[in-house]
Amino acid sequence: MSTESPVAQGHTRRARLFRVLGPNALPIAILVLGVIFAVAQPAFLTADNLIGIVRQVVLIGIMASCTTFVIMTGGVDLSVGPVLAFGGLVAFFCLNAGWPLALVIFAGTTSGFAVGLISGAVIAFAGLPPIIVTLAALSIVRGAALTIGGTDQHLINSWPDYTFIGSGMIFGVPFSIFIFAVVALVMIFIQKRTPLGLLVAAIGDNERAAYLSGHRTRLTKMLVYGISGFGAALAGIIQTAQVHTAIAIYGPFGTELDVIAAVVLGGTSIMGGRGSVARTLLGVFFLGIVNDGMNILNVSVDIQLIAKGIIIACALGLAARGN
Amino acid sequence: MDRPLIRGIDLTKVYGDLVALNTANLTVMPGEVRALIGSNGAGKSTLIKILTGAVTPTLGKVEIEGEYAPLGDPREMIRRGVACIYQHSNLAPAMSVLDNIYLGRQPTSHLGLVAVKRQRQAARALLDRHGITLDLDVAVGSLSTVKQKEVEILKALALEARVILMDEPTGWLSASEVGKLHATIRALKDRGVGIVYISHMLDEIFAVCDTVTVMRDGKVIAESAVVDIDRPRVVHLMVGEKLARESEQAGQHKRRPRGTGEVRLGARRLSKHGVFTDVSFDLYAGEILCITGLIGSKRTELLRTLFGADRFDAGTLEIEGKRVSLSSPRGAIAHGMGFLPEDRHREGLMLDLSTNENLAMATLSRFRSGILLSARRLSKSARLMIEALSIQPPDGNRAVRLLSGGNQQKTLLGKWLTLSPRIIILDEPTVGVDVGAKAEIYAILRKERDRGAAVLVVSSDLEEVLTVADRIAVMVSGRLGDVRDAEATDINALVREIGSQAA
Amino acid sequence: MTIRPATLALVAFFALSMAVFSVFAPRFASPSNIEDLMGGFSFIAILAMGEAFPILTRGIDLSVGAIVALVGMVIFDMSLIFHVPGYVIVPTALAVGALAGAVNGMLIVFVRLQPFIATLATLATYRGIVYAISGRQLVEGLTTTPIRDKWITGIETYFDLGRMLGIGRMVHLPAVPLSFLLMLGVFVILQGVLLFSKFGRSVLTLGGNAEAARLAGLNTGAITVICYAISGVCAGLAGLMLVAKLTTSTEGLGFGMELSAIAAAVIGGVSLSGGVGSMFGPALGAFLLGAILLGLTLLQVSQYTQQIVTGCILLAAVGYDRLLLLRRLRRRLANTG
Repeated sequence: MSTESPVAQGHTRRARLFRVLGPNALPIAILVLGVIFAVAQPAFLTADNLIGIVRQVVLIGIMASCTTFVIMTGGVDLSVGPVLAFGGLVAFFCLNAGWPLALVIFAGTTSGFAVGLISGAVIAFAGLPPIIVTLAALSIVRGAALTIGGTDQHLINSWPDYTFIGSGMIFGVPFSIFIFAVVALVMIFIQKRTPLGLLVAAIGDNERAAYLSGHRTRLTKMLVYGISGFGAALAGIIQTAQVHTAIAIYGPFGTELDVIAAVVLGGTSIMGGRGSVARTLLGVFFLGIVNDGMNILNVSVDIQLIAKGIIIACALGLAARGN
Repeated sequence: MDRPLIRGIDLTKVYGDLVALNTANLTVMPGEVRALIGSNGAGKSTLIKILTGAVTPTLGKVEIEGEYAPLGDPREMIRRGVACIYQHSNLAPAMSVLDNIYLGRQPTSHLGLVAVKRQRQAARALLDRHGITLDLDVAVGSLSTVKQKEVEILKALALEARVILMDEPTGWLSASEVGKLHATIRALKDRGVGIVYISHMLDEIFAVCDTVTVMRDGKVIAESAVVDIDRPRVVHLMVGEKLARESEQAGQHKRRPRGTGEVRLGARRLSKHGVFTDVSFDLYAGEILCITGLIGSKRTELLRTLFGADRFDAGTLEIEGKRVSLSSPRGAIAHGMGFLPEDRHREGLMLDLSTNENLAMATLSRFRSGILLSARRLSKSARLMIEALSIQPPDGNRAVRLLSGGNQQKTLLGKWLTLSPRIIILDEPTVGVDVGAKAEIYAILRKERDRGAAVLVVSSDLEEVLTVADRIAVMVSGRLGDVRDAEATDINALVREIGSQAA
Repeated sequence: MTIRPATLALVAFFALSMAVFSVFAPRFASPSNIEDLMGGFSFIAILAMGEAFPILTRGIDLSVGAIVALVGMVIFDMSLIFHVPGYVIVPTALAVGALAGAVNGMLIVFVRLQPFIATLATLATYRGIVYAISGRQLVEGLTTTPIRDKWITGIETYFDLGRMLGIGRMVHLPAVPLSFLLMLGVFVILQGVLLFSKFGRSVLTLGGNAEAARLAGLNTGAITVICYAISGVCAGLAGLMLVAKLTTSTEGLGFGMELSAIAAAVIGGVSLSGGVGSMFGPALGAFLLGAILLGLTLLQVSQYTQQIVTGCILLAAVGYDRLLLLRRLRRRLANTG
C-alpha cells in the first residue's frame, strides 16, 4: 500500500527514469554523437573514416576486453601500459633471435600473461590492494622494459610476416581489426557462456559468499589478472607491428586510464560485480567516436581532454543514480 | 506529574514488503528503567534506531520532553540527550579510549583545538564516579570486548544523556560485570535518567528494570510494571499464542529425534582456543537438531568450523563415521554439506546477480557441458527450485536485491537444496523474514529432514526452536549443554538454561 | 601519543638505508648530496602529506600531479602574460589548488562517485585545462622566458647554515633550501591539525568507522571535501616550489607524481583502509624514497633499475602494512569472549 507523498512519488518516477536511461545511455549517446558529427562534418560517415575509427581503437579495445574481468572482480590493473611495451619488446628480441613467427607471438603474449599472473597472485594470495600492487607493477615492468630495451627505437623492418599483423589488409580491412574481433568475441563468449564468466561476476559481487559456495576464488582472481596482462602484451605486439618499431616507453601514462574509462563507461562498476565485455566494447567505440569526431572537427587537444574528463564524470554520475 | 523523557508515537517502518515495525508506542519517564523484550525480528532494533535518529520511520513521531524531535537525524537526537549503546561496536578502533569517549564531540578551545586537559579531567571524573577502570590512552581496538562495552557506556554517560538506550548490553559480560553495570544503571536512575534495556536475559530484567514492554512481529503486544508480572507470563507473551497453536500443529508434525538412527555428523570434543570448548554431539540423518543460546555463545563460530570456513584447534569431526579434515568450504561441499550463514547479505547472496544465478552458485559444475555453462539446464533447475520453494516473484532473472527478505532467504536456501545436501547447517534462518515466509521455511526444513538429510539449526528464537526441533541443545559461552528431545522440554527450563552463565 | 611500531620500523629502515648508502656510495654523505635530497624531495614530502588526508578517510587522490601542473600553468600565465605581482600570485596558486581539491571532494560527496573514479576524471580534466590555458602555446616566445618575480624565485633560496652559525670555516654544512623549511612548516601545521584539532579527530573517526562518525552526528560530507581540499593545497604549494626551481612551467609538470605521493604515504604507514596514520610517516617516506633514489644514482645504478626498486619498495611497504593489519585483527578476535 503506497502512502507516499506526491513528492516521494516524483522521486520514484525520476529514479525509474534513471534506471531505464542508465544502462541504455551509452548506445543512445553513441547514436546522438554520431548524428551530430555526421551533420557537422559529412566526411565523418565515409567508410574510410569509420574503418579508421575502428583501427584506432583496436589497441584499447583489446586491452579493455581483457581487463573487464579484472574490474568485474572489483580490482583494477594500472600496469597495462608498461606491459604493452614489455610484450612488444619481448617479441622484438625473439624476432631478432630468429625465432619462427608463431613462437614469437607466443613468447610475447605469454610474457604479459606471466606478469599478470604474478600481480594477480600477490593480490589474491597476499591480499594486497589491487591499486597499489598494479601501481608497483607499473613501475617495475616499466623499469624492466627500459632495462632490456633502453630508450632506443628498435626497428622492425625485415620481418614482413610480423608487420602484416599491424599493417596488413584483408579484403580492404586491416588485419589488426580481425585480431581485435576474435579477441573480443572470445572474451564475450567466456563472459556470457562459461562458468568463469559467472564466477568472475560472483566474486566481484560478494567474494566471501563465492568462497563459501565452494569456489576457488583466489585462483580465479589470479587468472583474471593474467588475462589482462595477456591482452596488454598482445596489444603491444600489434602496435609494434603497426609502427615497425619496439620502444620501451610505449603505453605511456594515461593508457591505463583510457582502458579503465572504456570499461567503466560500458557500465561495469568499478566496485565489481555484474559486467559485460560487450558493453565495454560500446564504451571503447564511444570513446573512439568522441576522439575521432573531435579530431575531424579540429577541436584542440586541450578541449578534448577536458571534454573527456567531464563526459566520464557525467556518465558515471548517471550510472550511480541509476542504481 | 512528570513529563515523559521520550515518547515514540505510533512508529511504523516498512521495508518494501516487510513491515518491521507496526504502530509501536514506547514511553520512558524520568528515572524509569524500561525493559524491551521480544525475539529476533520482533522489531526492537528498528524501534531503537528510530529513537536515535539512525533510521527514519515511515510513519509516526518522536517526542522528547514535550517537543517533537526531527526524525532521522542522529545529531539532533544526541543534542536532545538521547544516547545509545548499540550491539555492534560504534567505536573507532585505532583511536584511544579518551578520544572514543568524546567521539565527534571533543571539547574545544577557541582555535578549534581539542582541549585535551579538560577532556582528560572530565573523563577521569566519569571513571571515578562510576567506578570503572580504563586506560585512557590505549587504542580501543586492542581492548577486550568487555572493556570496549565499558567504553561505549562511558561514551553515553559523557553525553549527559537524559535517555540511554542499551541494546543487549550484557552479551559478553560475566556475572560480576553485569552486577557493576546494574549498579551504574541504578545510579543513573537516581539522577533521573531514563533507560531502555533490551535484553533476552529475564533474570536481569527482573533484577534492574521497573517496567517491561513486550514486542512480537513488529508490534507492541504488552506493557506492564515488572512487579505485576512473572517470568512464565513474560515467556508466554514473547513466544505468544501462536506457540500454543504451533505446539498443537507441531504435535501434528511428528517429531523425529535421532531420525533414521544413522549418525551423519559427529562432533568429538571440538575446541577452539578462546572461542568454544569441548563441544560434542551427534547429528542424525532425518532429524532437525536445534542449538540455541544467546548472542555471544559462539554458536556461529562453531558452525564455521564444521563447514571448513574456519579451523578448530582440538577435537575431531566425523562425517558418516569417517574422520574428516576440512580446509575449505569446497571440501565440505564435496561431502554433501550445505551452510546457510547468519548474515545473508554479507556472506550468502550475490545481490546484483539474478535469482537463477544465485540458486546455481554452489552447484555450477553440475551445469557444465564441456567448457560451456548450460544456461538452459541452469534455468530449468532454477525454475524447479523457485516453484518448490514458492519464491516470489517467480521471474528467475530478477536481481536478488529486489526480493523481500523472506524470498531472499528462500533463494539462499534453494542454493543449497540444489546440492541435495546430506547435511544442511543453518544459522538463524529466519531473521528478518516475515511470518508467512517463516512458516514456509519451516515446512521446507521438515521436508528435507523427511528426505533423509541431517539438519542442524542454530537459532535464538525460542518460538522457532520449539516449533521446528526434534532435539534441542543449549550453548552457553562456548560450551554445549546436553542434547534433549524436544517433546520432553519445558520452556521455562530452557529459558533458565539459556540465561545461566557458564560456571 | 603512542608511537606505532610501523613508524619505528620506518625510522629504523631510514637510518639503515642512510648508513648503507653512506658506506657504499661515493659522496652520499656529502653536504651537496644532502642538499640535493632536501631540495629535490621536499615537495614530494609535501605532496605525500597532503595525499595522506584523503587516504585517511579511506579514499585516494589520483589527481595531485594534474593539480601541480594546473597551478604551475596558472602561475606561468599570471606572471608572464598578465604580469601580476608575485605576492598576489602565491596565495592565488594555493587557492587554485584548494579549489581543484574541493571539486574532487564534492564529486565524491554529492555525485557519489568512488574516490578512485572521481580523481581519475579530474586528472584528465585538469590536464586538459592545463593545455587549454597554456601560455606557452598561446603567446610567442614565452617558452624561453624565465619567471623573474622575486616572490616566486625567492622560494628557491638556500640558507648557508655554516655561515649563519659562524662555524662555516670549520665544518662544511649543507645549505638548507627554503623548500625544506617550507616543508617543515607544512609538517608542523598539518601534524598539529591532525593530532590536536577537533577536525583532525573527525578525520580519523571517519576513516576508522564511517558509521560511528555518522551516528555521532559528524558532518561527513564537509570533512571529506576539506580533506581533498588539503590535498589540493599541498599540490598547489608543490607546484609553486617546482615552478620556482625551474623558473618556468610545462604542460607535463607533475607527471606521475601521484605515484610518488601515494607510495611515500603508504610507506609512511598511512593505512589504505583509513583511520591510521600521521604526517611524520609520509614526510619521512618521501625522503626515504629520495635517499634511496639518490643513493642508487650515485652507485651508478640505471634510472630504469631505480624504477624497479621503487615499485618493489612500494610492494614491501604495503605488504608490511597488511601484516600489521592482520596482526591487529587477530589480537582483536582473541580478545572477544
